[in-house]
Amino acid sequence: MTPPKTRPPRKKAPVSGAGTAVPPPPEVPAAVAAAELPGTPVDADAPEVPPKPEIPASVAAARFEEPIVPDEEPQDLDEGTDVAAGDPDPIPETEPVAEAEPEPVREAEPEPMPEPEPEGEPEPVIEPEPESPADTHPEVIEVPQETEDIEVSNVAGVSVPADAAEVEEPSDVTVDPQEGPGPTDADAPTVAFEVEEAEELAPEAPATAVMPQMNAEVETEASEETTRPTPALRMTDVSKSFGRTRAVDAVDLEIPAGSFYGIVGPNGAGKTTTLSMIAGLLRPDGGTIEVGGIDLRRDPRGAKALMGVLPDRLRTFERLTGRQLLHYYGVLRGLRGAVVAERTEDLGRAFDLTAALARPVSDYSAGMTKKIMLAGAMIHAPRLLVLDEPFEAVDPVSSEVILDILSAYVARGGTVVLSSHGMELVERVCDGVAVIVSGQVLAKGTVDEVRGDHTLAERFMQLSGGLSDVEGLEWLHTYSD
Amino acid sequence: MVAHVLRLRLALLVGALNARPLVLLRRLAGFAVLALAVAAVCVALIRLDRVPDGEAATLTVVGSSLLVAGFFLIPLFSGVEDPLDPRRFVVTGEEPGRVAWSVALASPLGIPGLVVVAVAAAMIAAWTGHGSPAGLAVLAALLLVGTSVLAARCAMAVSAVALRDRRSPQLTGLMVTAAGVVAIPVAAFAFSLEWSGGLPSQLTEAAQVLAVTPFGAASAIAVRSGGELVASMLVAVGTLLALAALWQLLVRTLMTSTERVVPVGERRGLGWFAVMPGTPGGAIAARSIVYWFSDPRYLANVIVVPVASVLIVTPLLVVGVPLQTVALIPPPILALFLGWLVHNDLAYDSTGVWLHISAGVRGVADRLGRLVPIVLVGVPLLALAITASIWIHGRWAVLPALVGVCVSLFATGLGLSSISSVAAPYAVSRPGEGPFEQPQRTGGSMVQALVLLGAILLSAPALWWGWLSLTGDEDEAWTSFWSGVGVGAAVLVVGVAVGGALFERRTSRTMEFAETL
Repeated sequence: MTPPKTRPPRKKAPVSGAGTAVPPPPEVPAAVAAAELPGTPVDADAPEVPPKPEIPASVAAARFEEPIVPDEEPQDLDEGTDVAAGDPDPIPETEPVAEAEPEPVREAEPEPMPEPEPEGEPEPVIEPEPESPADTHPEVIEVPQETEDIEVSNVAGVSVPADAAEVEEPSDVTVDPQEGPGPTDADAPTVAFEVEEAEELAPEAPATAVMPQMNAEVETEASEETTRPTPALRMTDVSKSFGRTRAVDAVDLEIPAGSFYGIVGPNGAGKTTTLSMIAGLLRPDGGTIEVGGIDLRRDPRGAKALMGVLPDRLRTFERLTGRQLLHYYGVLRGLRGAVVAERTEDLGRAFDLTAALARPVSDYSAGMTKKIMLAGAMIHAPRLLVLDEPFEAVDPVSSEVILDILSAYVARGGTVVLSSHGMELVERVCDGVAVIVSGQVLAKGTVDEVRGDHTLAERFMQLSGGLSDVEGLEWLHTYSD
Repeated sequence: MVAHVLRLRLALLVGALNARPLVLLRRLAGFAVLALAVAAVCVALIRLDRVPDGEAATLTVVGSSLLVAGFFLIPLFSGVEDPLDPRRFVVTGEEPGRVAWSVALASPLGIPGLVVVAVAAAMIAAWTGHGSPAGLAVLAALLLVGTSVLAARCAMAVSAVALRDRRSPQLTGLMVTAAGVVAIPVAAFAFSLEWSGGLPSQLTEAAQVLAVTPFGAASAIAVRSGGELVASMLVAVGTLLALAALWQLLVRTLMTSTERVVPVGERRGLGWFAVMPGTPGGAIAARSIVYWFSDPRYLANVIVVPVASVLIVTPLLVVGVPLQTVALIPPPILALFLGWLVHNDLAYDSTGVWLHISAGVRGVADRLGRLVPIVLVGVPLLALAITASIWIHGRWAVLPALVGVCVSLFATGLGLSSISSVAAPYAVSRPGEGPFEQPQRTGGSMVQALVLLGAILLSAPALWWGWLSLTGDEDEAWTSFWSGVGVGAAVLVVGVAVGGALFERRTSRTMEFAETL
């Protein structure tokens, strides 16, 4: 029925395919070159970091152990998937359902590994808060997944540079152009590079959300670790009414970390309300929402710190220039000015907005406004991105670029929840999907589970009531002239 | 080391002459003007022997106070490069302590240094002409020179450490405004003094006060005696020592801390965001300022309120109320409406407020940030209005009362507004719409009235004592001042705290309200 696909290739094949088909290719080198650039200013910045020069040594040690351990393993996997990228056979069609299952499991696997060695992450070196495990955790998830996603990360050059280089080096994949600074350096510089990168590159270090609450989260995570990983988002029995209309009715959702989740539904079905409640903009009438294990009602600031939000149809401060707006986003999230400045440049490059950063946002087109708001949602390197209609009004090229960035982000343990009308898009990129109609979740699960034997669009028609009631417009066909 | 630095300094001076003809001409012209001015001051000082002793003392103390203040403030505000910046000596490997001494000793050699030396020499002549002991006169002059040049050095170092990467047109504007807020009332005060028939008594009193402050203490040594002399001496020597210690500390800081490498363009294009501190509150303040100065909805308010507060009193003039009384009415009205202006500030953001909510901004930061632009607008406006109105009124004794009343009305208005804009926002015209396109009101008049009346009620103490001071008892002016400042500050703090807490608790309601706009 469905063309032979395994999950990993499915994810990357279209992406890289798009990369070669559509203009992006020029963008790849550009982005890669860009990826190198941050290195330079950052290096210049390095004097800022030095206060703790002793640590890097141990970090170096830790760091060099870490990659090696998971490296061996995923390397084969890498080889495997690499072939798979070429021709979609090797691990293929285990039937969709089975395919769905392994996903969370596989993610659960690597996680416990880092926990025992809490010392080796650069994060505390930079940010004063001494929260250690927060970082090790996504770092390691990142490694295996990343190897399997080399193409993806290549295309989305923004986020990749050093890590990809690091993994690729042993596996001898020829992706050299971007390796320039990283691997040729001696040990210590490599560490330094990684250190900055952890701080500077947004999608790469999901855990760098600079918020202290991370601790709490990590702890809960650690305690639950034995049973199962904390989902990125859990909604239990969430309802919301406006006046007498029940906009959202007892929604239960659980979205595992590191997944790309789509929420689809007809107009007025309650998608935006649901996402607004997740984002903490609206308070549910009942039920609980947990983001990364933190109850949104009990600790709103802690939970919000883990999220980046792109609302639909809400204003932004349009009199600011693009640069000012991103600065505003970043500083409100507690980032330092220098960090924001650097990420602004990176994001501007990634979203192709550099030339527009100096203009007021009110002069932007709808698509550009969408992109700058998406960039703003990412600037603090959140764990969970809540995106309401992120592709509406965005041109196809930009859509692909955004998709690449998001895929790389998800590949490194980030979670994306988006709503969309584009069934094909959801079918193509999402791991999981929920269909909401009249405020109720009518179907949820992996894309394959939900669509069954049909395409997602067909299934969606069925669920939302179909085309049956297009009647009573006979007068339309009488042509009054 | 000292000799070397002196030589360097001389070389720099000579080097200034080695320029393109046009630049050289400009420099020489500037130098000539400066030399003439200094010469005029010196001549005036030497001819002070014709005036009575007391007046000469007052003039020299006030004059040298202005000199010291200028030496401290001008480098701080103008951000000139220090030609003897201690950081330039880092590469020589000298101890910071020695660099500090050398640079300090070399600093009288330079245009500003020479100016102050010349003025001090003329002052010695003036003082001895009025019978001061020569020793004290010389000591006073030395202290004056030392205080001035060290103050200038410290100011330049502070400006280099703290302000360099914040320099921008916006910051300069802020500083000019701040200077204006102080300078204009002082100038108005000076002009309103009674100058015919000797020095006004207020100026003599001012000199007495200045003589025991760091600014005037040095020169006061030469003109005072007895216990007063000791007091001035202590202050003057203490000032010099404190400045020297500060200078040492600053040199050490400058030479041992690495200069932060500001990546090119980091602060470029950020406008007000580069001026405000990099905290959520600062960012909100910067964003609010951008909106206040560019969004017609805010601009309309800023323009209408001052004009209205003046126009409102014209009927009184028409019916024959004396101008002196009427002149006192606009400032309090202006203060009241300025404080009230922001009572619905949140609604002006429309749905943009989601950004603050989703970022989990602290309520207090949100509240304070939003108050910054109105304070930036309100304080200079009020300073001008109060000065003008007292000038027209003619009695400076009621100034404290008027200030107290205005502060009270303004601050209580801001405090109540901080609460009301979260607790009861109402619909306004949307961003991008004209300021006078009003939406269909859904309430709002209640809140407007409450904030206005609340501010008046809370300012009742200041108003009452202000009235008493006006009708006779001038001592009550200070009571009015303190009660106004006290009540105003208290209400403002409470208002911001309560408003902040409400902001954090009512996020969902706020969003629901915003989406109805």
